[in-house]
Amino acid sequence: MSNLASDEELPTGVLDNREDHSPGDEPLEDAGHWVRHANLGLTLSILLTAGAFFLAGSNIIYGPAVPIALIVLAIAQMGVHLVFFLHITTGPDNTNNVLALAFGILVVFLIVIGSIWIMDHLMQNMMPTRMEDMMQMQP
Amino acid sequence: MTETGLPASVEAIRRVREDPHRLGHRAHGPAEIIAGAGHGMTGPASKRIIVGYGFWIYLLSDIVVFSCFFAAFAVQRGATAGGPTMDQIIEVPRVAMQTAVLLVSSYTCMLSFAATNARSRLWTQVFLAATGILGLVFILLELQEFAELAARGITPQRSGMLTSFFGLVGLHGLHVSAGLLWLGTMMAQILVKGFRPEIVHRLICFNLFWHALDIVWIGIFTIVYLMGAG
Amino acid sequence: MFGKLDLSAVPLSEPIPLITSAVVILVALGVLVLITVRGWWPYLWHDWITSVDHKRIGIMYCLLGVLMLIRGFADAIMMRTQQAVAINAEGYLTPEHYNQIFTAHGTIMILFGAMPLVLGFMNFLVPLQLGVRDVAFPTFNSVGFWLTASGALLINISLLIGEFARTGWLPYPPLSETAYSPGVGVDYYLWAVQISGIGTLITGINIVTTVLKMRCPGMSYLRMPVFTWTALASCLLIVAVFPVLTATLAMLTLDRYVGWHYFTNTAGGNPMMFVNLIWAWGHPEVYILILPAFGIFSEIFSTFSGKPLFGYRSMVAATLFICVVSLLVWLHHFFTMGAGAAVNTFFGISSSIIAVGTGVKIYNWIFTMYGGRVRFEVPMLWSMGFIFTFIIGGLTGVLLAIPPADFVTHNSLFLVAHFHNVIIGGVVFAIFAGAEFWFPKAFGFRLYAGWGKVAFWCAFIGFWVTFTPLYILGLEGMTRRLQHINVPEWGPWLYVSVVGVAILIVGVVAQVVQLVVSIRDRELLRDVTGDPWDGRSLEWATPSPPPFFNFAVMPNVEGEEAYWGIKLRAIETQQLAPEPKYAPIEMPVHSPVGVYTAFFATVFGFAMIWHIWWLAIVALVAAFAGFVVFAWRDVHEFEVPAEEVARAERARRASREALLRKLSEEGALP
Ligand code: HEM
Ligand SMILES: [Cu+2]
Repeated sequence: MSNLASDEELPTGVLDNREDHSPGDEPLEDAGHWVRHANLGLTLSILLTAGAFFLAGSNIIYGPAVPIALIVLAIAQMGVHLVFFLHITTGPDNTNNVLALAFGILVVFLIVIGSIWIMDHLMQNMMPTRMEDMMQMQP
Repeated sequence: MTETGLPASVEAIRRVREDPHRLGHRAHGPAEIIAGAGHGMTGPASKRIIVGYGFWIYLLSDIVVFSCFFAAFAVQRGATAGGPTMDQIIEVPRVAMQTAVLLVSSYTCMLSFAATNARSRLWTQVFLAATGILGLVFILLELQEFAELAARGITPQRSGMLTSFFGLVGLHGLHVSAGLLWLGTMMAQILVKGFRPEIVHRLICFNLFWHALDIVWIGIFTIVYLMGAG
Repeated sequence: MFGKLDLSAVPLSEPIPLITSAVVILVALGVLVLITVRGWWPYLWHDWITSVDHKRIGIMYCLLGVLMLIRGFADAIMMRTQQAVAINAEGYLTPEHYNQIFTAHGTIMILFGAMPLVLGFMNFLVPLQLGVRDVAFPTFNSVGFWLTASGALLINISLLIGEFARTGWLPYPPLSETAYSPGVGVDYYLWAVQISGIGTLITGINIVTTVLKMRCPGMSYLRMPVFTWTALASCLLIVAVFPVLTATLAMLTLDRYVGWHYFTNTAGGNPMMFVNLIWAWGHPEVYILILPAFGIFSEIFSTFSGKPLFGYRSMVAATLFICVVSLLVWLHHFFTMGAGAAVNTFFGISSSIIAVGTGVKIYNWIFTMYGGRVRFEVPMLWSMGFIFTFIIGGLTGVLLAIPPADFVTHNSLFLVAHFHNVIIGGVVFAIFAGAEFWFPKAFGFRLYAGWGKVAFWCAFIGFWVTFTPLYILGLEGMTRRLQHINVPEWGPWLYVSVVGVAILIVGVVAQVVQLVVSIRDRELLRDVTGDPWDGRSLEWATPSPPPFFNFAVMPNVEGEEAYWGIKLRAIETQQLAPEPKYAPIEMPVHSPVGVYTAFFATVFGFAMIWHIWWLAIVALVAAFAGFVVFAWRDVHEFEVPAEEVARAERARRASREALLRKLSEEGALP
């Protein structure tokens, strides 16, 4: 089936403005729009990345909270990338893209968290390999 | 055909008339055509959207591959088998450098796409080349890291932890390398053929691919390097 | 030069594989000679091998699947007879050989038999049911198919050159690590499954994109036929979990080839991680197979009951529910491996919950038949046999999903009976039902029903006679994968099971006879209207077989059961819709890139298996070069002129008008 034809009807340099959009793509925008987007994304990413490296190397916040803070920063930065570089929005033209993304995140989450949970549980029921642990098993 | 010799569709019409309760039947009469009501009611999408969306689905599946390697790293990060631990193999300055390089390459990739949309061949090529050079620097830094580790006898064969470390980081590096190969091919195509629709579609895909790799790298530098160093 | 490969790789001392391969090679050569002599190569090359037509690719998928089903069935016969004669005896298969057979059987049946068939149905039907002219990425579709074929080829090469894995269809480490499986068997497994898995992923992406982005005007989500819904759900699962397979096998490959420690039992490797990951793929995989099967049955129940599917929306909801929940249950395959109560309880409950979604579907099918005029055609027989068989299989599944009960039945023949119960009773029955149902659409004539009925009854009875004894043996404590048996009391049940296999063989023969008889009598069985069963979805709006562009004008859907609505209106008004304006159609050109890639994938796999590194590099470079050449091509599509479209469409309209006239002459119209 050809849809190439429908692409060619459009003026060059412009995306079509149908109801639907694929990720990384947006309707009817001039180059300036893309550049502004890129600048904003870059600035936010730099801030978040610098924050993460700074936090990891310092002890200004409570030590055990550092990993959590790092993960929060990472997720925030992934969000920035999705919005400013991949152009995922919440608009109706993006429903399918967001749904697919949500499904993907669900699967990633299940596999990572599920594996960690399951494997951790298996470890707990293993025979201890070190002598000291073995001793603690004695009643 | 039923025993009565009639197609079921003919009988159905009869029965609907005989069956006022319409057990399990729904109306099939002509309805309004809802044009442009969203939900893809208006027929197939354009090639551009189909290609972009298909590639998006592919990217999600690629992220799932990464998630398995992340899971393996999470499970095996303590399995040092008496060998070096994470904090002994990490050099934060190099990772900071790699992160910066990759982030800027994402930015230049984005600019190249802006140039594509403005149909500027020259700037598209310039920014693609910049992206490629930055990607190459990233890979070289990674190779340098691996070589230095190997020189200290720190190889994936040493322990489960190192296996999962090299596996995860190496998989990302492999993706970046493949991306570079693709990038070179794309630049050659633009040079020879200009902005044909299918080439623009591929540039959209490349753009997505490159940004996705940066997203994966965010996970890697956070979980493997920053959290491993602490 | 040739890595590990030398003449000793050919199992000269083992007659069974040797003779089998000799026969296969002779038959293949015979076919090749025949094709050459008759001059069929150009036709085959242009119309099939390089075709990007989704219908052709679907048919080739099914052909591959059927061939592999036969190969897997031969393995099954050997296993059942071996166990029947090896009671306190050696039997006729050595342990090494027996272990290869059960591994090959499982791998082939699931990944190269059932999967290609299911993917073939999806390929063939989804664009037709959606009212469009092709899938989203026609050329990638061809690549996907040929990669699957490439994997199947590699597995079958292992019969003659080298050996196959002896690890079971999921190669658990540490047994599958180099230390305990030094030969090439596991490597054959890894590369064959890896290559075909990538092909499957491509097809999955393709169909998801097709369903979500390429529906004909008016085909909103809640107007899609249930088969298309199940295909979407199944392909979403493919996209979600086949990458897990890819990753897991890649890790095992790294362990085996470069001595890494993902799954070794030394140096911090973790064999349990393999079990965890492979089942995170493996369980959803069985639902990838069964969901489209549910879709096939849904179409058949409503067509042959002459009623819309009961509870269409609940069917869709149940499909999506199963799709998501099946991602949450994988641990039920290794309850016994030592997780604590919290984990086992969670996964036990989530597994049982899946049965709720399945239950909804079963009731919907039963209520679809209720109040309808049920026609007991062959597809309907398979479907009714399915309901009965599948309920039992599902129930034993729920039994296995209760962790304490599973500690008794795990890895026993009870488990083997369970999954054959659901896979044969569910997937295989669906394949035969669907083949009977859509055969006229694909080839233009029906299958002869008499032999179809024989085949059904043999399969149904044969299935129960084969597998009921296995349930009993499992409860008596017989474990799976035994090369010989030391408990004579089990003998009688094993003999009964062999009798069942004999009945199944008769069923297979009946299928073949049915095909031969139908081809001979094809003029009598010709489907002139394109709607032989009084169907309800858009594929029946096309002539049989459909033209390569499927629809002369893209249909405009105005309700559920798109074609049924059109048909009823035609019957009520006693005329077809007014003739549309015909326009030229653009269709994708055919492309050899699929076979080309698959050829080098096979070479690459073979080279890796035998450690012929230079050849592997050559193959990779060649494959990449092929892609670049493909990317460089200028012509993507060709135009079908409006006159050709009009000619095809007028013929179709003429046959439909003739049918209407005949009905009104008979006074049948209301
Ligand atoms: C009601 C739904 C189902 C439940 C609760 C269920 C439950 C289970 C459980 C608990 C096991 C593992 C038993 C053990 O290893 O001890 C199992 C094995 C299996 N099931 Fe199911 N099942 C269900 C449906 C299905 C379906 C629909 C299929 C295929 C189409 C299927 C195919 C399999 C296969 C292939 C295995 C064995 C794999 C192996 O160990 O080699 N099951 N099932
Ligand atoms: Cu399961």
